[in-house]
Amino acid sequence: MVIEFKVNGKQVSVDAPPDITLLDLLRDYLNLTGSKEGCAVGECGACAVIMDGRLMNSCLVLAPQAAGSEIITIEGIHAPDGGPSDLQQNFIDYGAVQCGICIPGMIMAGEALLMRHAQPTRAEIRNALAGNLCRCTGYQQIVDAIEATAKGRQKAI
Amino acid sequence: MSHFTNPLEYVGQPARRVDALEKVTGRAKYIADYKVPGMLHARCLRSTLPHARIVRLDPTPALQVPGVRAVITSDDFVNHGLYGFPVKDKYMLAWQKVRYVGEPIAAVAADSPQAALAGAQAIVCELEPLPALFDPERALDPDAPQVGPDRSDGRHPNLKSDHMLVCKGNAEAELADCPIVLDRRYFTDWQEHAYIEPEGVLAMPTPEGGIVVYAPNQSPFINQGNLAMTLGLPPNLVRVIQPTVGGSFGGKDDIIYESSAQAAKLALITGRPVRMVFSREESLIASYKRDAMHMRIRLGADPDGTLRACWFRGILDSGAYASETPFTAWRASIHAMGAYRYRACDVDVYCVYTNNGYAGAFRGFGNPEVCFAVEQTVDELADLLGMDPIDLRLKNCLRLGDETAHGQVLNESVGLVECLTTARRLSDWDRKRAEYSRQNGAEKRRGIGVAAMYHGMSLGAEGADNASGTISILPDYSVDLTSGLTDYGTGSRTVYTLIAAEELGVRPERIRIQRPDTNTAIDSGPTVASRTTVVGGNAMRAAARNLRHTLDLAAADLLKCDPQQLIRVGESYIGPDEEAVSWEKIVDHAREMGLILSAHGKWSAPKIEWDHHHGRGTPYMAYVYGAQIAEVEVDMRTGNVQVLHLWAVHDIGKTIFPQGAYGQLYGGITQGLGYALTEQINYRDGYIQETNFESYLIPTSVDVPEITGQFVEAPYSYGPYGAKNIAEPSLVPTAPAVANAIAHATGRRIRELPMNLERVLLGHDLQPAGSKKPVEAGLAIAPR
Amino acid sequence: MPRFDYARAVSIDEAVALLSDPHCVSRPLAGGTDLLVQTRHGPPAFQRLVDVSRVPEMRTIERRGDEIHIGAAVTYTEIIDSELLRETATCLVEAAQLVGGPAIANAGTLGGNVANAAACADGIPPLVCLDAVAHLVSREGRRDLLVSEVVTGPHQNALKPGELITHFTFPALPVGARSVFLKLGRRNAQAIARLNVAAAGRVSPEGRIDFARLTPGSATPRAVRLTQIETMLIGCTPSRELFEEAGAEAARAMIAVTGRRWSTEYKEIALHGLVARALRHVFNLELER
Repeated sequence: MVIEFKVNGKQVSVDAPPDITLLDLLRDYLNLTGSKEGCAVGECGACAVIMDGRLMNSCLVLAPQAAGSEIITIEGIHAPDGGPSDLQQNFIDYGAVQCGICIPGMIMAGEALLMRHAQPTRAEIRNALAGNLCRCTGYQQIVDAIEATAKGRQKAI
Repeated sequence: MSHFTNPLEYVGQPARRVDALEKVTGRAKYIADYKVPGMLHARCLRSTLPHARIVRLDPTPALQVPGVRAVITSDDFVNHGLYGFPVKDKYMLAWQKVRYVGEPIAAVAADSPQAALAGAQAIVCELEPLPALFDPERALDPDAPQVGPDRSDGRHPNLKSDHMLVCKGNAEAELADCPIVLDRRYFTDWQEHAYIEPEGVLAMPTPEGGIVVYAPNQSPFINQGNLAMTLGLPPNLVRVIQPTVGGSFGGKDDIIYESSAQAAKLALITGRPVRMVFSREESLIASYKRDAMHMRIRLGADPDGTLRACWFRGILDSGAYASETPFTAWRASIHAMGAYRYRACDVDVYCVYTNNGYAGAFRGFGNPEVCFAVEQTVDELADLLGMDPIDLRLKNCLRLGDETAHGQVLNESVGLVECLTTARRLSDWDRKRAEYSRQNGAEKRRGIGVAAMYHGMSLGAEGADNASGTISILPDYSVDLTSGLTDYGTGSRTVYTLIAAEELGVRPERIRIQRPDTNTAIDSGPTVASRTTVVGGNAMRAAARNLRHTLDLAAADLLKCDPQQLIRVGESYIGPDEEAVSWEKIVDHAREMGLILSAHGKWSAPKIEWDHHHGRGTPYMAYVYGAQIAEVEVDMRTGNVQVLHLWAVHDIGKTIFPQGAYGQLYGGITQGLGYALTEQINYRDGYIQETNFESYLIPTSVDVPEITGQFVEAPYSYGPYGAKNIAEPSLVPTAPAVANAIAHATGRRIRELPMNLERVLLGHDLQPAGSKKPVEAGLAIAPR
Repeated sequence: MPRFDYARAVSIDEAVALLSDPHCVSRPLAGGTDLLVQTRHGPPAFQRLVDVSRVPEMRTIERRGDEIHIGAAVTYTEIIDSELLRETATCLVEAAQLVGGPAIANAGTLGGNVANAAACADGIPPLVCLDAVAHLVSREGRRDLLVSEVVTGPHQNALKPGELITHFTFPALPVGARSVFLKLGRRNAQAIARLNVAAAGRVSPEGRIDFARLTPGSATPRAVRLTQIETMLIGCTPSRELFEEAGAEAARAMIAVTGRRWSTEYKEIALHGLVARALRHVFNLELER
């Protein structure tokens, strides 16, 4: 079936089977491989995208459910000049990245949090990341990076 | 120029991970992200029985399934695909027998994952069940089902390794003379690596009749060797490249070698690229894990707290194949007595075959298991004697100049005392210890506990220990590095970049380190055992130093002076006339002089001596030390444990890449917390019950407390700039620190891992009797 | 060949029509957090999924007089964000917060949770505690069932083929009443409940309990109100000892239903403690969770 939606600001139209997930649609049909499959059952968050302003595990969204939606993936996160966004740069600067497989999902979770909550506490940041598993970092530097981004954005206002 | 006295410009300074940008943008490619034209999808048929004879295997029906292009069995490999180190006991695809649920029997390549699944399901495979063995303590009984191959020395076939011994004096006599003896048993559970990226490989045939395999293995050269051997190809027709790896922790070796061989053979037969990617269920069922270990320790001491004797017996349940576990058993034996002085010591650790999955390398490699036992027993001794647990450790712990229980004199770099005293201070130990000892709440109680550790660096007696790196200057003045050791999230690429920058005197931004590739790197042994910074780092340093020497010669020639008269300011060279000349000009001049602008460096670890027969010698060149303190709150009504905070102080010699080192510290601790509290694997009649992340529970962001980490730097003269390592040591003492904190809070010792709700509340685990979930080894998972 | 087809409903009537199509076995899909996971374990028991996640009438949260109305496709995040529910149904909001991480909360729905009928469901005990009614619609018409009657056993519900839960209603708690939800899992997030408890209650101006509700979950095959214990509490003065007795009774009530199972040795102690704690919270005897 033909599924039409917006991804990273661009309107797309994809002819895909109805029984695949949004994750598979993004990765296999649109070549947006930044979202990862870590478990396929919504536990690890490596597939997380922002759909209509909400963080969603794309492995639990059926592809046709995306019709008419606006989706942001990691490929859509960047500074206006195409370089890393403030959040991405802080992930680099605060040592939040090791193997990197969880990072796209973490960045989406961070962005989704900051969309709802401009000055989260560290505890609130941890809560916002509770659906994103990381096996390398122990989370601490990821929390540091998101906290620094929130503070940076407040200063910028 | 002593590296201890001159300020370092890059090493030890804040730095950015060299591959972070592609990871934060989603541009980094992991195996499952690779798509090449004509690519086929591969899938394995896996055993659904824990122990069985393959009575009939007819793969040809698979070829009738639309879309299937090839199917292979063990017959398609040289010598049935037999491989393995240190014991050659496994096959790339099972031959004659299967020994664990999930063992691969055949592999199919097809146009789509669905067709590959259908093809696998069409294979005719008849298995005749054999009696299976699940209890490692019964493995050496005369009537135990035989899992392992017949041994040439006539010993029990289920004995997978030699007995690993450490002997000092006469432990029995010493114990008999001790006024206080604690005799305790411990059990540590299997642990799954749970890297967020499941396994996968991509194999592509070459026109020369060879193969290129992209594999997220830790050790590409071992993969290359296995492929050459089992495919019957000369090594220089086998190229292995490591892409970005989504975590490994020891877990992406054997399982990746097999998948590589399977995909490679399918690629050679079909003439097309073949990619195999595991589902999470397949990963949990089929991949190897940390062994479960059954231990008994007898610790003897004087009433003043002096440790006198340690007797230790350990059996590793290492499942169906040897993998690395003979080495795990050895490292476990070396560390079983803990970082203490003894008058006598008697350690005997060995591993056995069972039909519970199979065990292999996992961060810590035998030390987390034994540390859980010895650090709780030492702690219990402190309780018994009314001594503070840190004071007891300070009284007995290894210090500079001490002789270990193995007979090794520690000549340098022993920072354990400072680790303990620093952790004590940071955690406000004494006040909390006193305060929590006085509480008696009915609902929640707090406790604070400590554990000390040491961890031998690199391979020790496991084998030849050297590494090589190369460095060259490219036409655009950028610097290109290769190393035989790899980075799978650990940060070694950044460490090597910083070392090369420091040694060469150029900014790290000028340097690019290549992806590990058997075509361009030099075999440096496996990337394991926390040897990357020391062994690989020294090799990189040697390479950079050699190149620096060449450039110094060119600069001296250009500036008409002796090399000793040169000064470096930033990247520039300054001669006696005090004019700064840019690095690029020096490079140009070197080229004009006809000098070779590349260099190779090799470093070999100091020779160690280990007498296996007597259990004495110098097992490792040096040790990393550490102390961790955990503060917990135990819910006395439910057994739930919250870790409120954790303090970790480790002596790592010298911090090269601070962010990376702290990241490894926090990450290792987090795996240690999972090991301690939530990660449980239940093999029921050989079937793993935890087949995805809803039941295999690794810590989330709200399960891990804020961690206060600190590094003590007691430089190790053989390490690059004095560095040792942190990758594995960080995981080792976490579980016993938590256990000791729980004991402080509740008065109850929990001697089994994980310390789940039931064990904390009741003192023992609960398991459903009789019912089991026989999982179809990933084959029942509907295609996507 | 796709394993199943997909259709999106924009109204309840359309959903019912699609779900009752005799030529195409169909099931409702909202957040997919249970359904899509189940499709990994074998061939689906349906030929088509009918997406009801955007049916407007199934997505409202409102108060109509003394009754609270929650659409079956309302997500946990919407429950958490609802000021009305935070004021009138704390136990439901707390359950929504503990179901899973943010992405799960953004997708999961009460309708899905109830229809899935897992013994360890987090949404069911609060609904049962609140005496919630599930409103069902099918080609044959409408019917209402207590949530506790919709769930007939672990992963078993009373829904007929082609029947859809459209919304839930429950009477607003009496003025001054509080409610609470406690969850015990093996880790702090993204955890299946080992045990959970929803409780509600009120103390009269004279200091006696005049309203009490108690619904443990993950303890028995279906979550029910423990009405005998509720009755026992009425008229009593809140005290630690009273709630310990209630906890012990709850454990006995559990065993009366389940018999002694392999997990009972643990659950009888933990349930006792959790119930006592929940009651202390509801009746304001302590703030510590």
